[in-house]
Amino acid sequence: MTTLSATIQEVFNEPACGKNAAKSEKERKKGCTKQLQPGGAAGGCAFDGAKIALQPLTDVAHLVHGPIACEGNSWDNRGAKSSGPSLWRTGFTTDINETDIVFGGEKRLYKAIREIIEKYDPPAVFVYQTCIPAMTGDDINAVAKAASAKFGKPVIPINAPGFVGPKNLGNKLAGEALLDHVIGTVEPDYTTPYDINIIGEYNLSGELWQVKPLLDALGIRVLSCISGDGRYREVAQSHRAKAAMMVCSKAMINVARKMEERYGIPFFEGSFYGIGDTSDSLREIARLLVSRGAPAELLDRTEALIAREEAKAWASIAPFKPRFAGKRVLLITGGVKSWSVVAALQEAGLEIAGTSVKKSTKEDKERIKELMGEDAHMIEDMTPREMYRMLKDAKADIMLSGGRSQFVALKAAMPWLDINQERHHAYMGYVGMVDLLREIAKTLFNPVWEQVRRPAPWDDPADNWQARALAEVVAPQLAAE
Amino acid sequence: MTQSAENVLDHFELFRGPEYQSMLANKRELFENRRDPAEVERVREWAKTAEYQEKNFAREALTINPAKACQPLGAVFAAVGFEGTLPFVHGSQGCVAYYRSHFSRHFKEPTSCVSSSMTEDAAVFGGLNNMIDGLANTYSMYKPKMIAVSTTCMAEVIGDDLNAFIKTAKEKGSVPEAFDVPFAHTPAFVGSHVTGYDNALKGILEHFWDGKAGTAPKVERQPNGKINFIGGFDGYTVGNIREIKRIFDLMGVEYTILGDNSDVWDTPTDGEFRMYDGGTTLEDAAAAVHAKATLSMQEYCTEKTLPFIAGHGHETVSFNHPVGVAGTDRFLMEVARLTGTEIPDALARERGRLVDAIADSSSHIHGKKFALYGDPDLCLGLAAFLLELGAEPTHVLATNGSKGWAAKMQELFDSSPFGKNCKAYPGRDLWHMRSLLFTEPVDYLIGNTYGKYLERDTGTPLIRIGFPIFDRHHHHRYPVWGYQGGLNVLVRILDKIFDTFDANTNIPSKSDYSFDIIR
Repeated sequence: MTTLSATIQEVFNEPACGKNAAKSEKERKKGCTKQLQPGGAAGGCAFDGAKIALQPLTDVAHLVHGPIACEGNSWDNRGAKSSGPSLWRTGFTTDINETDIVFGGEKRLYKAIREIIEKYDPPAVFVYQTCIPAMTGDDINAVAKAASAKFGKPVIPINAPGFVGPKNLGNKLAGEALLDHVIGTVEPDYTTPYDINIIGEYNLSGELWQVKPLLDALGIRVLSCISGDGRYREVAQSHRAKAAMMVCSKAMINVARKMEERYGIPFFEGSFYGIGDTSDSLREIARLLVSRGAPAELLDRTEALIAREEAKAWASIAPFKPRFAGKRVLLITGGVKSWSVVAALQEAGLEIAGTSVKKSTKEDKERIKELMGEDAHMIEDMTPREMYRMLKDAKADIMLSGGRSQFVALKAAMPWLDINQERHHAYMGYVGMVDLLREIAKTLFNPVWEQVRRPAPWDDPADNWQARALAEVVAPQLAAE
Repeated sequence: MTQSAENVLDHFELFRGPEYQSMLANKRELFENRRDPAEVERVREWAKTAEYQEKNFAREALTINPAKACQPLGAVFAAVGFEGTLPFVHGSQGCVAYYRSHFSRHFKEPTSCVSSSMTEDAAVFGGLNNMIDGLANTYSMYKPKMIAVSTTCMAEVIGDDLNAFIKTAKEKGSVPEAFDVPFAHTPAFVGSHVTGYDNALKGILEHFWDGKAGTAPKVERQPNGKINFIGGFDGYTVGNIREIKRIFDLMGVEYTILGDNSDVWDTPTDGEFRMYDGGTTLEDAAAAVHAKATLSMQEYCTEKTLPFIAGHGHETVSFNHPVGVAGTDRFLMEVARLTGTEIPDALARERGRLVDAIADSSSHIHGKKFALYGDPDLCLGLAAFLLELGAEPTHVLATNGSKGWAAKMQELFDSSPFGKNCKAYPGRDLWHMRSLLFTEPVDYLIGNTYGKYLERDTGTPLIRIGFPIFDRHHHHRYPVWGYQGGLNVLVRILDKIFDTFDANTNIPSKSDYSFDIIR
């Protein structure tokens, strides 16, 4: 069993990642995410990253070992969907207290595992380490091992306490835990030449279900989805898949890469956002399967399906085009969405005013250039203030972003649409693309923007809050220039 | 039997027991000459069709489930808004019991109101004696400062002349000569409660301003800078009037609320019974004639009162129960214009907060279709707010709405792209609404408590906004006017939308994959 710091170092060394491979040894040791700036607003921690990466496994009991903060603030907070078990939505925590901190919380953890197994009998218990017990030295690996032996049930330690780094690192550490303890521990009842893994897809808003019918139509079996609408057993037997698709850029690249090394499962990085991307992904899945021995006619069937579905989607999109003429979109997201959504929006006739690449990799950026041309407006790290100014100067008509940036858009009186995890609409696949455009149309033409932009009728337009706010943004910039 | 002395079941449980269920089933089967259930089902389904709707809308004589009440109800509403005033309804006492229970069920407060208790002989010989005795008893038993007289149909049909009767009663010493007894004829077979409100309020103002039925000299108007405010018949009067006072105070406006029922329908429980509480003082009511201008929040509640006031030299402005940003903007701008005051920053901030709240949540309302019924002004105000939110007020129905009201609704629809497929239905009832909800379904229904039958029959979730609200408590304490009020209406609409999401996704292992904690 490796230590946590060793695991982290291993995660930092990712040969499948071009950017990482190009780094010097010293650089690599520092990790791939930018060091957090103390005092600055920050995103989620490694625990959060690990939890959200694995939480969509629906039949697993996810037990958070720590004080109430970690699980109390976060349970059931993701819009991942389950087609069956609902155990994953129950918030399990050891809720440790002062005594546990002074005398150690391992016994409490052990008892908690026992109680879960007695009361819920899940196929597995995932135990998440958090900052406090990691600092006081609770050895969750040892407890998990003992409990597993005692109860005859997989108890999986997820060692990603918050302080080790940001969310993205937590995603990868969660992947390591699956690789170490889950993947390859169960043999499937049967295999087919059409078995694939989908890695890094979380079935947010049930998105996976918009793509699955396409795979079903082709006779392709999703042996395991890691982790959206997933089951423990599916992940455990995922090593027998013939090919894999890695969906969310780099969140679980270590899983895809190590499964290729260990079990010879080839993978590609793809996206189901946008019509072209969906088609490309289907083609690539078919190509990989055929390369692993599936009958070549799969390729023809895939092309036929693509032709049919694309035609349907284009027909549904056509009516939006006139409404979107001349409309410009500012995209504040990151990772795979920075380019996968770009393609989708362009298909509907929207112009891209800019896309953020804060969490994007070099490949992501390359893809953006391919799509938007060399002079693509890529925004490295946009402060809310700059975002505000950009929207205010009407360089964009709508901002698509996660929930955290929505207030910038609202204060700039610009339409905004949520495309991150807290949204309630599924945008994947051909159907999802049409839905996204429908939502963009609804947002763009929502009468509230008129209301938001119009100052109070008794206001002096030269001296209202919006004018003052803009002046505040502009003044320091002028001073700097 | 299921009922036993040890454990007496109440109506929620009793008839659900197997004994009752089988007994009732047998009774249906053996004695009730039951129709073929398939036939019942066929007719039920037929009643949802366009064919049935056509017949339904061809109805001429019958009103089914009216969304209106009678004139004297409105008269009582207006009267209790004045200090120490006891409404006195000349006519049969049963009607008056209705008004009292109607208000008490809505406001959860006692509503004091007396009747001249006319009986058969009074109906034949006229109700003069009932007026004489009634006023005397009311005066001595309940010690009011003013008795406001209105009428039920019974007195109207036999043609009792209130002016003469009250004069005679005073001559006979029922009440002192100088005691204030304003009056209004309020036959229920004309108009609705909003008409009665109008008549009663006009009667009271006429009394104070125009020489107390010939017993005092007319008041000479000496214009000052104050404004008068009339709320109209409004189920949210408690919250609304308080909100309006707060807004006026923030603006530094000098005002008189004509008919302030915010205290009498919200008395504290502290051991003292307040038969009368708060209200416009009689001095203020009289002095209101000197005001610069009079604002009415509800045009159709003051169709006679406002012209009467205008006749006394006031500038008058009326609104249609303004709800939301634009409606409140217009209201405040008028107040500011009339009084020469500025709209303070505190209100501008409230405005911004409402806009912010709308922006935060409007995606859930935008594009949704609503059916809406209620009093004419409320319909106009709420429909305008819905349009502002990007919703479509597809069916707007007012049983007491006129053709003129329908034209005004149409004008409102035409002012917004979201009003394109919307229609106003004047003079229709809730059974017409039922047909509409089947043939052209909408996402949500807005109406009073009686809408719960429509909700049950058609499955359209009901958002309770209107009067009366009997089956939910304390809504009347929360304003719907002003920016704060707009926020309350927004929240009420959103709550129902999210409750509906939850209700549609809460079956374990079936629909609960969408049963989310974050909406």
